[in-house]
Amino acid sequence: MALAPGLDPAAFALGGKVPLRALAPASIEELAAVVKACNEAGEAVVVFGGGTLQGIGFSPARYNIAISTARLDKVLEYEFRDLTISVECGRSVERLNATLAERGQFVPLDAPSPGLSSVGGLLASGWSGPRRATFGRPRDFVIGSTVVLADGTVAKAGGMVVKNVTGYDMSKLWCGSLGTLAVLARANFKTLPLPETTRVALAALPERTRRRAVEHVAALDVEPSVAIALHGFPEAGGRDGQEGRLFLMFEGSHTLVDRATRDLRSAIGAAGVPETTLLDGTAATSAFARLLDAYGARLGERSLTYRSCGLPGEALSRCDALAHAATRHELHAESLLDILGGDAYVRVSTKLTAEFAAAVERLDASLGTSSPTYTIFNAPEMLRDGLKMWGNEMTSPATQRDIKHRFDPKATFAPGRFAGRANCSEGKRA
Amino acid sequence: MSTIARLYEALGSDAVLTAPEDLSVYAYDAYSQERLPLAVVLPRDARDVADVVRIAYECGEPIVPRGAGTGLCGGAVPVEGGIVISFARMNRVLALDARNRRARVQPGVINLELSKAAAPFGLFFGPDPSSQKISTLGGNTGTNAGGPHALSYGSMTNHVLGVEYVRTDGSLSYAALDGAGYDLTGVLVGSEGTLGVITAIDVRLLRLPRSTRVCVAAFGDVEAASAAVSAIVGAGLLPTALEIMDKLIVSAVEAHYHAGYPTDAGAVLLVEIAGYPDDAESGERTIAQIARECGALSWRAAAGAAEREALWASRKGAAGSLGRIAPNYYIQDATVPRTRLPQALQRVDEIARAHKLPVGNVFHAGDGNLHPLLIFDRRERAQVDAVASAGKAILEACIALGGTISGEHGIGYEKRETLPLVFSPDDLAAMARLRDVFDPKRLFNPEKIFPSGAVCGEVRNPAQTQSQRQTLAAGGAWL
Ligand SMILES: Cc1cc2nc3c(=O)[nH]c(=O)nc-3n(C[C@H](O)[C@H](O)[C@H](O)COP(=O)(O)OP(=O)(O)OC[C@H]3O[C@@H](n4cnc5c(N)ncnc54)[C@H](O)[C@@H]3O)c2cc1C
Repeated sequence: MALAPGLDPAAFALGGKVPLRALAPASIEELAAVVKACNEAGEAVVVFGGGTLQGIGFSPARYNIAISTARLDKVLEYEFRDLTISVECGRSVERLNATLAERGQFVPLDAPSPGLSSVGGLLASGWSGPRRATFGRPRDFVIGSTVVLADGTVAKAGGMVVKNVTGYDMSKLWCGSLGTLAVLARANFKTLPLPETTRVALAALPERTRRRAVEHVAALDVEPSVAIALHGFPEAGGRDGQEGRLFLMFEGSHTLVDRATRDLRSAIGAAGVPETTLLDGTAATSAFARLLDAYGARLGERSLTYRSCGLPGEALSRCDALAHAATRHELHAESLLDILGGDAYVRVSTKLTAEFAAAVERLDASLGTSSPTYTIFNAPEMLRDGLKMWGNEMTSPATQRDIKHRFDPKATFAPGRFAGRANCSEGKRA
Repeated sequence: MSTIARLYEALGSDAVLTAPEDLSVYAYDAYSQERLPLAVVLPRDARDVADVVRIAYECGEPIVPRGAGTGLCGGAVPVEGGIVISFARMNRVLALDARNRRARVQPGVINLELSKAAAPFGLFFGPDPSSQKISTLGGNTGTNAGGPHALSYGSMTNHVLGVEYVRTDGSLSYAALDGAGYDLTGVLVGSEGTLGVITAIDVRLLRLPRSTRVCVAAFGDVEAASAAVSAIVGAGLLPTALEIMDKLIVSAVEAHYHAGYPTDAGAVLLVEIAGYPDDAESGERTIAQIARECGALSWRAAAGAAEREALWASRKGAAGSLGRIAPNYYIQDATVPRTRLPQALQRVDEIARAHKLPVGNVFHAGDGNLHPLLIFDRRERAQVDAVASAGKAILEACIALGGTISGEHGIGYEKRETLPLVFSPDDLAAMARLRDVFDPKRLFNPEKIFPSGAVCGEVRNPAQTQSQRQTLAAGGAWL
């Protein structure tokens, strides 16, 4: 362990718990040695990438050692003519895509704060952004992985080919496991060629036209790669107040994007949407980056975000139901609705931090079993363990627990992340 | 009460087969023949399946889920006997939600039937294995099937949004991609019936492309055609499909279908460019240009829908049309990085020559997914041995080129002893842990995927082609 230099543990605090030590191994072997030692010593470990998505799930029930993947940031293989790349998981999403951009390629990971977000953290969080309906989820681009299991075993799955059914697709298990089963050390991706051009179209979305505009966008002939109805979220180009914003992005050839723009104008014009602003080139990509950041943005200690997934056709109703429930409990609600993917993100907040806890606890209690399924993230650390972070249902809880137990029998990795205080009565923490 | 009596009681006598002549049909798949099951059941719904699995669990009988039996690695063969669950009666599209581009299907639905059902809504189902006219979505999910369009749309795993499945104790469960917790959907897809029995599948549907072009380029040999594919992909171009057939395959296909492939060429490349009409022409021009630079002797675009369909129908029917020229053949499945295609094809050729076996190639070139077909006569013992040894040599060559031993057909029974060439004992032990969660008693499709003797953590050494040899001699890979 002497090999892995110590970092300031205070920078890795979660849920009021400060780890005893924070380590940053520099190789996969070193990582394996550190994990093995922690596991043997019975020390609970939380793996840290950029920390941008640590706000998913409950805070760890025990927490002794933070392992940062920051030094595991190398590109291991990049055969750009194969459209595949293999990187260490501590590399930031931004640096991954910068390497790819040199060869005119990208992977649509859609990370909020990509400069901080690590590849491993993004995958482990199960994140999927606004382009998943068009391109697929991050997990769909993972063609292979290497992980360190709790006992220090290094295990790989998949490979460096784009089509592979050799053995179980273990990478799927690691993606979305929130660091509770293994540490993602290496990830292999298939990449995509960058589009010739990117254009963002922004339009005002008055309340009365919202439903119609959403239906028109869903039926556009040239599909946008991003189609978001924003309400609030001024940092992403939305507006506070009654009027929403429509955020669309088109990617493809110049000819196609030009036609898409014409079609769009007439389609949403017909839906009663007044005017459209177009952004091209870097203006478009930075507008998109701001939108992604908004997904993960919190307002200090006075906000949290509900994420509700489901059928695109019902997204508006789900979104409104959550927003209205929040308003009933004197919370301010802003929403970000993925028209094609069907995700609704509702950020609820109060003006004053002091009012937040009570209001949100009332809201949380009111969201009974009949409410749509949602998960919570980015809750203030001190509140999160008392809320229904995983909503009302988790599929196959017994199997989930069993998986945790098989891979991490001593509950070394982020114990309690999937089943916190709220679920304690169920018995063993997963 | 005996197992069979309990099955009769639970499902009724018309849903349980036990006569040897009925059972013998289920001792095969498209790879091999093995032994007879104890019984074959034909459940009507998930509850029937759950009953069967519970009975099997209590009686300690293996369960082998079976779709259409077109699998090419022995996945649906009851090597340990037990109960085969056929999904022939669970063949309904349960829901088709055009607005949300989703469908829920029973596992027995034939792949192509789903696309047919979706077509009136302007939708289709992405994965299209060449067997799509007969293979089932349950089997496709079990193997994580690919197909010619995997290049653009991905394999099954990229299209399955959730599965309803029966666990080993007979309880019914549901896994959803969007649900909280671990991605059970992701691991169930491609688990070849070893983790659970799938009783319903939620899939996404895609919008039919607004424009489709299908073009055929002729090349001097298969290495030149594959070099063109490497160059096209290397230039960052991903058309919707890039398929290669060599001369041997083209002549068999043409004799059968007369679709108009050039029979004098050493190999043909089938290129599909589907998407928006705005990009079709420039897309074709760029790809044709690269093909010419790589030595294409001709380039022709199909004139209309009828010709496009004929070209596709004969490509997808390639294996079936071999009957005219091959007494038997053995189809291999391996993937290499796409820049390694020419080398891989060269190695295949060398290996086939060294074993004195004719070889045909018909494959998903854009994905680097090879399908060499080794032609032999199973009545000749020496040829059977040569096929087994050549098959293994091809896999070793692909691994040496940075590839792997199955791109879409699966590991099944056929390749389980080869798996340790790709994965270390630690890698396999991690997979075995997952198996332990879902199937601690090893009743779900035993003797598949994992090397023989592999109990969590211990994995025997590779290089056993004995069982494979027996299978081939017994009439495997018949088609
Ligand atoms: C001519 C021909 C062309 C082919 N082309 C392609 C191709 O292009 N791409 C490709 O990927 N494959 C191809 N294949 C292989 C084969 O068609 C696929 O593997 C297909 O997915 C098998 O489907 P099936 O219904 O026949 O399943 P089966 O062969 O019956 O079963 C396949 C596996 O799935 C499991 N299984 C079946 N149903 C279930 C269930 N309900 N729950 C859990 N497990 C289940 C079985 O146990 C078995 O392990 C081809 C085969 C042939 C004969």
